[in-house]
Amino acid sequence: MKNVIGGALSKLDKQSVVTAYRRQAPIYDIVFGVLLHPGRIGTVKLINQTAQGRVLEVGVGTGLSLPRYRKDLRIVGIDISDDMLRLARQRTREKRLGNVEALLNMDAEQLQFDDNSFDTVAAMYVASVVPHPDRLMREMQRVCKPGGDIFIVNHFAEDGGLRGTIERRMAALSHKLGWRPDFKLAPFMAHGTLEILARYREPPLGLFTILHCRNEKPAAVAAEQEAAAD
Amino acid sequence: MGMAMADQPAWQSVDPKLLEILVCPVTHETLSYDRERQELVAVKARLAYPIRDGIPIMLREEARHLDEPAPPAGT
Repeated sequence: MKNVIGGALSKLDKQSVVTAYRRQAPIYDIVFGVLLHPGRIGTVKLINQTAQGRVLEVGVGTGLSLPRYRKDLRIVGIDISDDMLRLARQRTREKRLGNVEALLNMDAEQLQFDDNSFDTVAAMYVASVVPHPDRLMREMQRVCKPGGDIFIVNHFAEDGGLRGTIERRMAALSHKLGWRPDFKLAPFMAHGTLEILARYREPPLGLFTILHCRNEKPAAVAAEQEAAAD
Repeated sequence: MGMAMADQPAWQSVDPKLLEILVCPVTHETLSYDRERQELVAVKARLAYPIRDGIPIMLREEARHLDEPAPPAGT
């Protein structure tokens, strides 16, 4: 993996990377599919250990994680790409996943769910892709019950060291994924009132982090939502 | 065994439990399911969200305004 990324970038300037993509896009899609898979699987494992009731997966993509959820959970998946959702739906049908309640084409910054609709919300590689991460944070907290679990899987930038070097090399590739390689954890978390319960580093190379958070809704907001619901 | 049931699309009818949590982002009203047109309708917002290949398209730019006629089938 390191050779693919490092080798490609050390020899090529940015412009020729774009050209190379055009030629090798299918291969790179597979490579990045493999890169992102462990984070998804790791998150579902964590969810399966504790979750009850209804789970929202934001950025469900082609639904790779769907067959792994506990069968007694009710899964709702959303994504901005209807092409990917079609594949997810196909997977749901073929594997007869009765626990997948719905797959919807929706904007993560403007969720069309009522307040407190979900016991668990998971954002899979979404945080650094959406134009307004603050809106994503607000919406996840809104649709998740107070005290519910919020999982965030993402690449968060770090300074220096091996990871810093890899990140700088990956920067030129990031446009392919729509990543912001300089996306940092602290400013993102400052948009909300989540309490981080645990952090997990995921392979490959620990590039991706799973955050397990508790949805600490400020009392004022919770009361406002209660009043609005009446 | 069970072949016919397997072919039954899950979204031939919308799960009522899902309709309980789906709301219009503008008016926060609950949506109603129009089986005939395969749409989720927000009456106050005057918007109808299409369901394509079993996937509700909950994007405002894809929604039909209720004053506009529904597009004829097959176009």
